[in-house]
Amino acid sequence: MALAVPDNLSPARVLAESSLAGQAEGELQRAVGLLVTVVEACGAVVIIVGALWAFIGFVRAALSRGRTEGFVPVRLRLGRFLALGLEFQLASDVLRTAVAPSFRELGQLAAVAAIRTALNYFLSREIEEERRQVEEGLRRKEETLQ
Amino acid sequence: MTFAVPALSFVVQVAAGLVAAAALVSGALALVATRQPGVALAVLLDLLLAAGLLRLIALADWQAIIGAAAVVVIRKVVVAAYHRGSRVLTEPPTTTVS
Repeated sequence: MALAVPDNLSPARVLAESSLAGQAEGELQRAVGLLVTVVEACGAVVIIVGALWAFIGFVRAALSRGRTEGFVPVRLRLGRFLALGLEFQLASDVLRTAVAPSFRELGQLAAVAAIRTALNYFLSREIEEERRQVEEGLRRKEETLQ
Repeated sequence: MTFAVPALSFVVQVAAGLVAAAALVSGALALVATRQPGVALAVLLDLLLAAGLLRLIALADWQAIIGAAAVVVIRKVVVAAYHRGSRVLTEPPTTTVS
């Protein structure tokens, strides 16, 4: 006695639906891939602009009176640009996890994201430390002048 | 894990090379202007870090990651040593009167 298969579970329908699901997943992967490229490009632009600005600033500081203090604000600003660029990279890493096909690739993404997070943390701490030392130096100068 | 568009990856790699060259020029200028190796080294390492991060964006392989992390660590050690040295020179000496 053959079993009667309902229409909504017929092999043709199942094949059609899985093909549609596969197409949708493919479209999603392409869209996320495009987003990842855009976010990474934004991060690259931020770092390039920061490096260019810093190079001009360093040249101007060297050609002006050449005092040490002239370089510090440029370095602090460059550090902020780099930290912002790293934030964009972390965002692209998070986006990639949405379409990671295997646990192995997910593990690699997690490792890269962890290292970028650590870089961002140490960079931010260093910026804060340098800013505090600049303020301390200015305060000491004011005290000696008084 | 690289750019979806290979042309973008190539452009960012070229930019990384140019930033590295700018790092050498800036470091040399800082050394000539201030005569302080610590300042010149800090300037050099800052722009080298920028170059390393750009390379990390373009390639995103383990070599680029370790390279960027190494520059961060070296920069931290050098800058900390420089600041400690400058603080020792600027703080007034403590003398005891017997």
